Amino acid sequence: MLNIETETQGQSSRSQFLPTSLRASIIAASYWILSLSLTNLSGSVASFVGCLLGCYLVDHFINRQPLNRYKTVFIIAVCSLFLVSGLLLSDLIVASTMLAGLVSPMNSYNAGEFIKWFLISAAITSILRTCAHRTRFGAVLEILFVTTAFIITLSAHRNGMIHRPYFIGDFALMRGVDPASILMAMGSGAVLCLAALLMVESNHRRLPYHFSILALLCFSLLGYVQFFGLPSPQYTDDLGLTGAEQGNNASQSDNPFRDSENNPENLEAPVAIVLFRDDYEPVNGSYYFRETAYSQYNGSLLDTTNRDDMDQDLVSHFTNTRVAVSEALPGQDSRSKVRTSIGMLTPHRSPFGLESPLEFINTPNPNNLRFKRTYDVVSMAPVFSFDDLIGQETGAEFWSEEVWDEYLQLPDDPRYRELATDLIANLKPEYADDPFAWAYSIKTHLDENGIYSLKNDHAYEADPAASFLFGDLTGYCMHFAFSATYMFRSLGIPARVGIGYSVPASNRAGGSSLLIQAIHGHAWPEVYFRDLGWVIIDPAPQQTLVDMTTDPQNSLQQLLGDMLRNEASFDEFLNSQPNPLIPLETILTFLSLLAAAVLATAYGVKYYRLWVPQYSARENQYRLSYRAVLDRLSSSGIRRNTGESREAFASRVGDMAPSFKTITQQHLYCALGTGNSLNVQEETFNWNSVSHEIQQQLGKQLPLWKKVLAAINPFSWLTTR
Amino acid sequence: MVPDSITDNSQLTAAAGSGDDIVDQESSDLEKAAAILNRLGDCVRQQVLGRDNVIELVIIALVADGHVLLEDFPGSGKTTLAKALGEAIVSHNSIGESGIVPFRRIQFTPDLLPSDVTGVPVFDSNSNAFHFRHGPIFAHVVLADEINRTSPKVQSAMLEAMGEKQVTVDNVTYPLDPLFFVIATQNPLDLVGTYPLPTPQLDRFLFKITMDHIDREAELDVLETWQQRRDQCNQTHSITRDEILFARKAIDSSVLIGSSNKSALVDISRNLREDDRVLQGNSTRSMVLMMPALQTLAAMRGRNYVSAQDIEMLLPFVLKHRVELAPGVSDFNKVLSDCMRGPMEQLARGTLHK
Repeated sequence: MLNIETETQGQSSRSQFLPTSLRASIIAASYWILSLSLTNLSGSVASFVGCLLGCYLVDHFINRQPLNRYKTVFIIAVCSLFLVSGLLLSDLIVASTMLAGLVSPMNSYNAGEFIKWFLISAAITSILRTCAHRTRFGAVLEILFVTTAFIITLSAHRNGMIHRPYFIGDFALMRGVDPASILMAMGSGAVLCLAALLMVESNHRRLPYHFSILALLCFSLLGYVQFFGLPSPQYTDDLGLTGAEQGNNASQSDNPFRDSENNPENLEAPVAIVLFRDDYEPVNGSYYFRETAYSQYNGSLLDTTNRDDMDQDLVSHFTNTRVAVSEALPGQDSRSKVRTSIGMLTPHRSPFGLESPLEFINTPNPNNLRFKRTYDVVSMAPVFSFDDLIGQETGAEFWSEEVWDEYLQLPDDPRYRELATDLIANLKPEYADDPFAWAYSIKTHLDENGIYSLKNDHAYEADPAASFLFGDLTGYCMHFAFSATYMFRSLGIPARVGIGYSVPASNRAGGSSLLIQAIHGHAWPEVYFRDLGWVIIDPAPQQTLVDMTTDPQNSLQQLLGDMLRNEASFDEFLNSQPNPLIPLETILTFLSLLAAAVLATAYGVKYYRLWVPQYSARENQYRLSYRAVLDRLSSSGIRRNTGESREAFASRVGDMAPSFKTITQQHLYCALGTGNSLNVQEETFNWNSVSHEIQQQLGKQLPLWKKVLAAINPFSWLTTR
Repeated sequence: MVPDSITDNSQLTAAAGSGDDIVDQESSDLEKAAAILNRLGDCVRQQVLGRDNVIELVIIALVADGHVLLEDFPGSGKTTLAKALGEAIVSHNSIGESGIVPFRRIQFTPDLLPSDVTGVPVFDSNSNAFHFRHGPIFAHVVLADEINRTSPKVQSAMLEAMGEKQVTVDNVTYPLDPLFFVIATQNPLDLVGTYPLPTPQLDRFLFKITMDHIDREAELDVLETWQQRRDQCNQTHSITRDEILFARKAIDSSVLIGSSNKSALVDISRNLREDDRVLQGNSTRSMVLMMPALQTLAAMRGRNYVSAQDIEMLLPFVLKHRVELAPGVSDFNKVLSDCMRGPMEQLARGTLHK
């Protein structure tokens, strides 16, 4: 390999420095991008630094003592050893309590990340570089690596996806900038980087000229996007935010116990975003959004009712304007009025709202591509105290006998009532006849003895609730909700299973927006009290076999919330963002203006230099005409090498343009001699006609595409020497 | 080792007919000088085949008042070259006047004495006085064969003559002719029993020329024409001593050396001295000696100015024996081209500036 031969001579390592730096910075940039989503800032910085170090070390030492004596396999093995030891060391640092005690836990975590990513990137880079030096396919691996990094970054934004993970697009959106231009710039950068890397590998370093053309094309593409915009991408149905259809109700099979499509991969998929317009904090620690309810026993289990006079607090369909709940809501005194805006990210059959909704008001959709449907909900959210709940009567006054019966139907299984009466037997005398106390003791039984698990054996039993309740008490919300409801009903308390979403209050994290994710889909038992309406009494098993906690997605929550807000408040939010010393938009505009100015200046200089000899004084002709001729040559890619004399260059170009020899000679006579050669008088030499001749000679020799490139290249004159 | 030169003489002579009365005196002198050198070159080239570049360098050295050290192997034509040069120069009438012969060859051996070179006073019994008998050094062209075989004493006598253009014997100084030109040779391989010339003494030679074997066609040509050349050996003494001295003067006065050329030379020297691979750089004297050589080359190429091409062409021959490389560094050409790149680039760029 030519590379190795030149490197062994020591002196030429200086000439290798630039390509090495170029390559190192490109690979390091791809490390940076790859690590962004996987680690924190210190890890990213470490991977960048580690990659640079690895690149320089390998390039410098691979062909020297003693590294050149070792086999490739040995070097790779040593690097891998470093990698493994780095991982172990970082784990040790993060896990060590002593270090965390000495410095702060955050610092020790940062140090661990730093070491880990530093060694990962240094080791992998060293392996890649060694392969590139020693093997034929090595360089390909390296280029593949860089390509992958760019593809991963860009593909995270395909179809206008956001927050997967929190990436460039989101960053731009938060600042009110169209991410398309940033992504286009990155794409152009990728093209340039890859081209550069390929050229470095094949030692074709003297093609910066074609590079500048490539860059020009990329930038003009960018300019096009800046001014005319991008064609909107085809947004997929799931908006790139969710996996499969998550509509909780719509996709449910007849038997709610058999919705085994609890696919953990999609659990974090966003379902809707809720904006709180009024202050509200739930009493029991969770926000409940009821979409529907199972209240009618159909012989085997509870289902949505088909009677018009039941569940009149539910709204089953969307309307284009507003829809109010037809049933009067009791207990207004112990409820607070909360207005929320909901943006649905996945389609739902029925509107849902913070319990208990009074009316749903359709609102204009601020972003049709993001939100399936947006509406405002006015809710009377419960702020019940214990005193409110105690001593209540159950059932509404306006219920007919049939409705009462429907709310008390349960499977023909005496064990429900037996267990329920057992559970309420030990109540204090003052609460012995209180329905809420009954319900609460049933809930407490389930809390203390139930085991939450997504895997269970009850799905195909005739009565899964019974199988659960009188069996191993292991199941998920459906089982708890159904069991509780059946027991309530067995005691004569009208109850139903509410279906919807329940989101922990802590998820709001102090903001005004709340993200509902698929994992928050929930079912709960509720009881009707005469003066309060439907009250949720939700069993919360203390033992759980699945980790149902999710990382709080505060940034996505904030981002989607800001999107749902109207423009004015979004602008407000933008203004409230820190560090808008100079807005990004301004910087971008400034940069594009600057680029345009540079281009215009470059073209100006280029054509001025070609044109000025015709009007210059005689004594300057020899310089200016010759410079113009050199400009023409260099725009066609014909340049004098460094250190090459003008005569040698002239004889090199002589085949292409014979007159160039003449003009070079005359130029040198004027520049170095007296101007009068032995046979030609300076006064009689016609510079313009000779340079015109050269132009014609060149025109005959060059292909059309080279001529076109020569005409549009604005910087060719910079390479004239 | 001698690079191919770009000869643009043809262009020059083709257009030479168009000269008119505006052509000033200097130009015509220069033209005459160039014509003289061309004729001299033609004469020598008739006798020595396949060594055009060496002949060019030797003529440059002759006109530039320098001396040449040839490094080669036996039978490579150095005697033929020196003899052809000496025979081409001399004019018939000058022999009688000054007693200076056109060409002498001195074979240096370990037992040679300085007086064998310079000449010795001999007692003339008729006049009862010592008369100085001129040694072989009193000639226009002296071939000092295998100069490294003789003792340092003889070498120094020879070198004094080369440097000062005079010979001192018994406190009497005898000047040499202004046209005094030494071609010394040494065999680079056969070093047994030799006294290698130290660097300061090498400094007196303008060029050191390392010769390779001539190419196949030229060698064939030599064999084809040897008889013909033997027979015409004594013909065509076409160039007189005075003509060469005229050419020397004309070139000296009318070929311009721009200041950019000079600064390029100085920069190259400084680069060489600062380079880690160089133990000892070249002297200032070497640059001074090089000036007329550059002028002569420019004149031979039909130019009245010195250009970068001339520097590129001559510099290796001027510097190779003057620069001492550090141990372990062998490629002088690479060192030189590294040191030349910057100054030459500046020189080339300079022509676009005022």
